[in-house]
Amino acid sequence: MRPQTRVALHRCITTPRVVAGLMLVAAIVTVAVLAHWIAPHDPQEQDLLNILLPPSWSAAGVPDYPFGTDSLGRCVLSRVLFGARVALYVACLAATGAMLLGTLLALVAGYFGGWVDWIISRIVDIWMAFPPVILALILLVGLGTGVNKVILAIVLIDWTRFCRVIRSDVMVIRRKDYVAAARLAGFSHGQTILKEVLPAVVPLLITLFSLEMGIAVIVEAIMSFVGMSVEPNVAAWGVMIADARQFMNQSPWGVIIPVFAIFITVLAFNLTGDGLRRALDPRLMTSRGDV
Amino acid sequence: MEVLEARNLSVSLVGVDVLRHISFTLRRGRVLGLVGESGAGKSMLGRVIARDLPTAFKVRSGALTFQGHDLVTIAGEKHRELLGDSIAFIPQEPLTALNPVLTIGQQFDEHLGRLGVPQADRRTRMITALGNVLLHDPVTLLDRYSFQISGGMCQRVLIAMAFASEPALIVADEPTTALDVSTQAHIVQIMRKMQRDHGTALLFITHDLRLAAHVCDDILVLYAGDIVERGPARTLTAMARHPYTLALQAANPPLDGPAHRLATLPEQMPGIGAFTTLPGCRFAPRCPVADEECGRAVPPLREIAPHHFVRCSGACLTQGAKASAPEPLPVATTTPGVPVLVLKDVAKHYPGERDWLGRRRPGTDAVKAINLTVRAGEFVGIVGESGSGKSTVAKLIMGLEPITAGRIAIDGNDVSVNDSAARQVRLGTLQMVFQDPQSALNPRRPVGRLITQSLEAARSTASEADRVMRARALLAETGLSADLLQRFPSQLSGGQKQRVNIARALCVTPRLLVADEIVSGLDVSVQAQILNLLLDLRRDRGIGLVFISHDLSVVRYLCSRVLVMQHGAVVEQGDAEAVLGRPQHPYTQSLIAAVPPEDPDRPWPCNSP
Amino acid sequence: MSRIALLLLFRRTLLAVPILLCVSALVFLVLRLLPADPVAMSLPPGATADDLARLRQSFGLDRAIPVQYVLWLGKIITGDFGTSIFFRRDVGELIARALPATLELIAAGLLLGIAAGIIGGLAMFAWRGRTGEQVLDLATSGLMAIPEFLWAIVLILLFGVMWPVMPFIGRLGSGLVQPAPLTGFLLIDSVIIGRLDVFVSALRHLMLPAMALAIGIAPLIMRVLRSSLLDVIQEDYITQARLRGIAEHTILVRHALRNAALPTISLIGVQAGFMFGGTVLVEMIFAYPGLGNLMVDAVRNHDLPVIQAVALIYCVLVLGINAAVDVIYLAVNPKLRFAT
Repeated sequence: MRPQTRVALHRCITTPRVVAGLMLVAAIVTVAVLAHWIAPHDPQEQDLLNILLPPSWSAAGVPDYPFGTDSLGRCVLSRVLFGARVALYVACLAATGAMLLGTLLALVAGYFGGWVDWIISRIVDIWMAFPPVILALILLVGLGTGVNKVILAIVLIDWTRFCRVIRSDVMVIRRKDYVAAARLAGFSHGQTILKEVLPAVVPLLITLFSLEMGIAVIVEAIMSFVGMSVEPNVAAWGVMIADARQFMNQSPWGVIIPVFAIFITVLAFNLTGDGLRRALDPRLMTSRGDV
Repeated sequence: MEVLEARNLSVSLVGVDVLRHISFTLRRGRVLGLVGESGAGKSMLGRVIARDLPTAFKVRSGALTFQGHDLVTIAGEKHRELLGDSIAFIPQEPLTALNPVLTIGQQFDEHLGRLGVPQADRRTRMITALGNVLLHDPVTLLDRYSFQISGGMCQRVLIAMAFASEPALIVADEPTTALDVSTQAHIVQIMRKMQRDHGTALLFITHDLRLAAHVCDDILVLYAGDIVERGPARTLTAMARHPYTLALQAANPPLDGPAHRLATLPEQMPGIGAFTTLPGCRFAPRCPVADEECGRAVPPLREIAPHHFVRCSGACLTQGAKASAPEPLPVATTTPGVPVLVLKDVAKHYPGERDWLGRRRPGTDAVKAINLTVRAGEFVGIVGESGSGKSTVAKLIMGLEPITAGRIAIDGNDVSVNDSAARQVRLGTLQMVFQDPQSALNPRRPVGRLITQSLEAARSTASEADRVMRARALLAETGLSADLLQRFPSQLSGGQKQRVNIARALCVTPRLLVADEIVSGLDVSVQAQILNLLLDLRRDRGIGLVFISHDLSVVRYLCSRVLVMQHGAVVEQGDAEAVLGRPQHPYTQSLIAAVPPEDPDRPWPCNSP
Repeated sequence: MSRIALLLLFRRTLLAVPILLCVSALVFLVLRLLPADPVAMSLPPGATADDLARLRQSFGLDRAIPVQYVLWLGKIITGDFGTSIFFRRDVGELIARALPATLELIAAGLLLGIAAGIIGGLAMFAWRGRTGEQVLDLATSGLMAIPEFLWAIVLILLFGVMWPVMPFIGRLGSGLVQPAPLTGFLLIDSVIIGRLDVFVSALRHLMLPAMALAIGIAPLIMRVLRSSLLDVIQEDYITQARLRGIAEHTILVRHALRNAALPTISLIGVQAGFMFGGTVLVEMIFAYPGLGNLMVDAVRNHDLPVIQAVALIYCVLVLGINAAVDVIYLAVNPKLRFAT
């Protein structure tokens, strides 16, 4: 392993943010995977005699419903646990898709420059003229609703986040003499991109990917909040907030708990991404202690 | 009157001394030169004066007295009052030392305000001061920003600001390193004149012994944190006694007189990490005359002639100077026949970029119709200052940029258009050594895979074992140890990186190398090693070279023919001895006049800016 | 300077035209992918096929899509945004009522967010290397993990439900009648007609949604300002100013801040664009009668003419703010002004 990689890995695992973020992510993933076994109730099961119960720790709470129930008497804890599945499903697929599309276009634009770059940059300009939420709403009107459509919409919107950042990095690397040297050594353009350019942007890609997972969780929550993502009866955090909002006066916990779930999940991805950015920042990698 | 006095000053980094027992005095109106290669600790002293030591560096012992104040212990506020008022600094990078969002006038005005000059007088003061450093049209200059003027002009502004308070001491850390040779001569002349007129004490920090000989009254030579030799500039350069000082002089090729092979020292200056393993003389491992005793105890600084001190245990002092007779320079043998490379009326025009309003700026003719023929085994030099287009020529030859006019032929094959056939022709014949190894070596590849990169290309059939064998052979040929195979570029020294850079170019066994400023970032002693390596390659492989450099003496040392470029055009070309010995074109003449001559008694700089 | 600024604005306007054309075409095309028929949805249950055909014709939906697009574009240029399928009213009129409300909200949100971001960023810089910085740094991470629309809900929960001190529905208290719009901006109109009670009520109604938007951008501004200040103080010209004996606070205010402002200004430009998106959900949650609310209603009812028009207006706003930020950037950065 090259020493910088070792140093970088060491920096990552000694950066408190990365450690905290990855531990949170691991916890959320575990919860989501084991939801079937650890949830006390079926998330759809209605108990109309016990509606809008507060959490079990308050005076009126019932131990059977640790986080209380919603307006249809469904277990809030179980629904939050199952909601994590929707959130992670969307986060993984959407972030991967956006990364692949954005990186591909960024490599092509940044490496070849010229008219290819011009066209891709203009498309990014057009995309940037839309507030992302507006573009998402329009896409979902056109594509129809559903969780997979939400994923598609996120990919179609957020590839620009990757493209903009990676492209400018690729342009910096493109000007490095080692890229010219690779060409002079007989590398084809494809070889040069894959072997010389792409490895240099990997740290940045990991960082952006982590941050994009957080963004995807938020977008899914927004879309299920306005009823354009999952079916209304599926337990997703946005749906839970939308349902519980109407009963905020009687039972604030119904809102607080899914909000907290989103907060923790996004925080986990942001802490990881942020920590990685700090740990992998090339400016910090070279010591400035020259005499 | 003593302005600055150091007594046994030691600066350490976690217990290791990076400056050891430094003592000197600098009097009013005198110039003291601090000379050393990178890593010698020469910049530390300026940073002690500025109280700007890097983290974890501490003044361990000793005193640095400025006009009765100990700069090490003086209170912070009092110290700040001295800065800019009694002590002024001239920086290394003039372009970045001025704030890009404030005009020259605003910054100068702020400085005068800090000195207590009343508002009403400042403008006249500024205009006079800028006039004194020979800047034309100071009035317009006040409203300009640093990025609108040249580096040399920026440096003059900074000199004017430094002298505005009539300081007792000026610290100039490599003030001309970032500038072109002719600008360097102007700046040195202005600094010297101002310093004499004001009777200022000047601490001049540089890596260039020859420059120091002309600028300074006294010189301190530093090696790995130790003063190895100290004395009046004339005495020290004419009668240097320390083996390191002698090696520095010998490593620098002369611009006139007989040429012989440069004597080089092995390896390079140890890094801070290695200091603890050197209890005695830190130069001993590289010293040609060291004995076992040298490695055990630090020799004292002894006065061998009035005011001339040398830190050496003795061998060199008794033996006198240069031990071995100089080797003659190998003669180039060029083979007749079809030239390897022919450039016919080659030109490069860059269209202007669009500015923020979308207007296309006027384009530039980076290279204007140049002609060049290189035969097998021939070393041809291209010299010129920054912006002369010499680096563009390298890119055009290599096909990294398309030419806009003319023809290029390699072995008689036309490669004017860099299509795949031309790429094939170039691939077997031409290789390039890049200027900046930092940028030229992919930090993610170990040395072994870097230098054999071309075997990875699509058509190659080399096996992994072939690759390792090839890598070992290349390392040996470029004077590197096989231990480096698994190392990464960040673990190499500057000289090693440049050798790896050369080794990579040799992998496809080219017949012609194009080398763009490949020694400009190196210390002189390492530079000499690389130059000799290139000569050895010609001897062993009969390789040809297009050597691009701003350094006339280096070009004279290597090349038999030379082209002088200015503003994209060749203004003079011919036999190297003739062009550099009897220059005809005024530009070549001015370039040669700007180089500090080897003889310290020759007046320099002599041209008026 | 002002001439250069005008030139830049002119160029930005010229560039905006092709972008807006592409944007409108994109919106139009995406919306035609819609599987359901919005007109059919809006008809009463007893309607006949003839009714449907007539209605489709009246909305121009029976023509080929490119023709529809060109006709729509032609009308927009004359200021005619068409008729809402759902509200059966002129879209231009709907937008004219909603736009000032949204602009008022965005202005308040930007103002709050930028002020908080700059103060926070300076505080983080001043406390660099100390506990204060760590605390603020963690706080920004926490704040950024909650998107605007959840802040809206959290703020309602805190200041509307648990500790009811602030109104959180609409633009005005229920006892007040909205005065006839002069400019449409309630804060300005109330001052013109001299109604202090309206002004106070409008301001109070603006507080929570503006705060929700402000929390969305303030932490990022804090971070960028802090890190650019940290970068700038490493620069040679800062060292050189110190070596001239210039006092530390002068260096910060005169030399560092202006240079550090440049990346912060670009960031505000990008973030302001995102903030426009944030208003959509925030307006919906606060039942604030702005463009966002209109958009959500239109989306729910597949009201294509409204969606198209509102989306276009949002894009115009984003391009407008980008141009404004460019001009500010130009004013602060002489390098751009004089690069020749």
